[in-house]
Amino acid sequence: MHLFIEQLLNGLAMGAIYALVTLGLALVYGILRILHVAHAAVYTVGAYAGLYLFGATGSLLLAALGSMVLCAALGVAIERFVYFPLLKYPPYVPLIGSIAVMLAIEELCRLIAGPYIQTFPARLPFPDIHLGPVTVSSTLTAVYGVTAAVLFLLWYITSRTELGLAMRAASQDMPMADAVGINSHFVITVTFIIGSAIAAVAGILVGIYYNQVYPTMGTVPAYKTLAIIVVGGLGSVPGAVIAALLLGMAETLLIGYAQIPLPRDALAFIAMIGVLMWRAEGLLGSK
Amino acid sequence: MSAYVITIATLIAIYAIVACGLNIIVGYAGQISLGHAAFFGIGAYTAALFATKAELSFWYALPCVLIISGLVGLLLGLPSLRVRHDFLAITTIGINFIVEAMFLYIPFFGGALGIGGIPRITLFGLPLKGIGFFWLCTGFLSLSVAACWWFTRCWAGLACFALREEEEAAAGLGISPVRFKLLAFVAGTAMAGLGGALYAHYMRFISATDFSFPVSITLLSMVVVGGMGTLWGPVLGTLILSALPELFRPLVDYRILFTTTLLLLMIRFQPGGLLGETGFIRSRVAVRSRRGRP
Amino acid sequence: MTEALLKLEGLSKHFGGLKAVDGVNLQVRPGEILGLLGPNGAGKTVCFNLISGVYPPTAGQVRLSGRRIDGFTPHRIAQMGIGRTFQIVKPFASLTVLENVLAACGITRYPSLTRIWTPWRSKMDREMAMAVLERVGLADLAHRKAGLLPLGNLRRLEIARALVVGQKLLLLDESFSGLRHEEIQRLESVIRRIREDGITVLLIEHNMRVAMGLSDRVAVLDHGRKIAEGPPEAVQNNDEVIEAYLGRKGRGHAA
Repeated sequence: MHLFIEQLLNGLAMGAIYALVTLGLALVYGILRILHVAHAAVYTVGAYAGLYLFGATGSLLLAALGSMVLCAALGVAIERFVYFPLLKYPPYVPLIGSIAVMLAIEELCRLIAGPYIQTFPARLPFPDIHLGPVTVSSTLTAVYGVTAAVLFLLWYITSRTELGLAMRAASQDMPMADAVGINSHFVITVTFIIGSAIAAVAGILVGIYYNQVYPTMGTVPAYKTLAIIVVGGLGSVPGAVIAALLLGMAETLLIGYAQIPLPRDALAFIAMIGVLMWRAEGLLGSK
Repeated sequence: MSAYVITIATLIAIYAIVACGLNIIVGYAGQISLGHAAFFGIGAYTAALFATKAELSFWYALPCVLIISGLVGLLLGLPSLRVRHDFLAITTIGINFIVEAMFLYIPFFGGALGIGGIPRITLFGLPLKGIGFFWLCTGFLSLSVAACWWFTRCWAGLACFALREEEEAAAGLGISPVRFKLLAFVAGTAMAGLGGALYAHYMRFISATDFSFPVSITLLSMVVVGGMGTLWGPVLGTLILSALPELFRPLVDYRILFTTTLLLLMIRFQPGGLLGETGFIRSRVAVRSRRGRP
Repeated sequence: MTEALLKLEGLSKHFGGLKAVDGVNLQVRPGEILGLLGPNGAGKTVCFNLISGVYPPTAGQVRLSGRRIDGFTPHRIAQMGIGRTFQIVKPFASLTVLENVLAACGITRYPSLTRIWTPWRSKMDREMAMAVLERVGLADLAHRKAGLLPLGNLRRLEIARALVVGQKLLLLDESFSGLRHEEIQRLESVIRRIREDGITVLLIEHNMRVAMGLSDRVAVLDHGRKIAEGPPEAVQNNDEVIEAYLGRKGRGHAA
């Protein structure tokens, strides 16, 4: 029983991490209807930036902040240089651009930082929580805490601020939003800033959680997050979060705990195919 | 010609065939396919299995390869082409992953080790290799391009063009969207299967990773860079994207970075492709011909 | 009494709680021009969509020469001889004007699995397409890319395509909207010539003068129901119609 609870907690943490990585992708898809595959590269850069800044300053907080700023800039650069000029073309054109960017950035990481796996020996300043026989380690607490904070902030911004209202309007009908005076391009830029900053945090968390940072760490997330947004419902950010949590728990419980003989990474795609066959609009998407 | 150049040229010819198939789906009919490598793989595995397990000659197996690739395209295309455009991209990615997983996990397909020991293609009893095989592939490429050319000239092609531009209006002209999208899809997957069969007999060893999602993206890039919907676009695109990594070999470590950056620049500044309407080549030709007039 | 070419019997289309079309009965006689009028949101385009197969009715039937066609797919209905234009023009932008019409000429080949592999640039087909372009007055623009045309010409192109398909019935959806005065006059004569060729026309039109001038008979919809039907002059002076367009106060104001 207590093993089950441990696995449940691990699964929840896994899901939380997936949610953090997927958020940026879901936000960008919601507003631009583009599959921002390069988001996975931003996440990788976030991990590396965090690692180096931590090494240079010794402060995890500074590292996180610096990394967020760097990734936000990177995200905006990608939007300005690749997506914005290609918006009027069919969607596979920016998609190829996105994939080219992702591969190029991965290569840059490999050339600059080296192809080997580096460790991220940081101590997350969160407490261990003891709940009876089960201990929630500081890493897990950190993951839950950070994810909850990010989700709360995102919720607050989108539903309680004017900026959030503008974001929601622009993602529903951009020409209309323009017509009522919303600066859509600004909204798009902000979306990328928020999404990329979250990716940076995700990258750092993952780096510390697994104690591994390497150039191709974004490859599997690139595909998995695509599957997650389909399952959650294309265009639905809450759907993506729920799908991410469910996937994390399913991966850990079904494969880690129940030991079902399927490759772990395949679960996301099986779920995606299931969704496409039975309920194409996903969990919370609209038809 | 050195053996090295022949190798590259042969691979270019093979990939160009697969790219032509993708061009029918994406360029002529305006559909998205991000999983085309799956059908490249289906053709390869079918040919490999016929050659190794059934010990059938390539020439007898070829019609089967075409039929099977087309048939699987039909089965997978039927549900896919009915979904909304947004979903089609992800559905085709899913197809790629499922097919790759099948090759990887089902023992019949050799699992992670793939299928090896595929014999060479023989013509009149002589095994084809090196330059001989290159001419065979070029021959098939010519046939493929000719087939695409015929496609653009016949009513099926015109129907696909109309469908690509305005689906609702095309339906109003008696064009059944599902039927013609499927037609294009099947034509494209069969052509990819042909390329796959040639690939199997060339490499003589295939495994699931030869047909993974990145390969689908490479194929799509080849079509887009050359010019989607044009006749020679896929061939040109394949040539450029295959030759570049080789030309950049002296850069050793920076090779992939250069290639991907170049791809990015090309898609950013020539999204219609080099042979496309606003493409580099077309506009140069237009300028020259305008100068010739009084 | 000649048999109606097109019959709408108790036709209804509900979108959730909204009754876009509610129990409409209408008959279109062969060879006539019937104007389908009504204020915005009256359900006119929904009727067209029901006739041309864009979606099936919630209730009621559509009959072409007595045969039920409701629920058929758009391409099947096109193959039965009903051609239509769209409110928002949908040209095949990267094809030339001639090629746009040629695409329509293929209607006889598209259903056949063998004939779709024959070439489309044959002399016979090109001549047929050019003849249609002559009828709508676009012959000299035959080789221009459709995407470059101004709206007036695009509307004529839509009609040209619909003409090829609509051997029995032509559905014209606001073909005059957004046109300049001379273009309107030209289009009016095109449609009159079409009627002279014996083709039946059902048209939706907001331009009252055009609609009343062209139509032999007129039917008016409001909130999904038919509120009037008859010759233009009679309908023009119908109280309910005036109220639908101008509101209750309009009754005193209309000429």
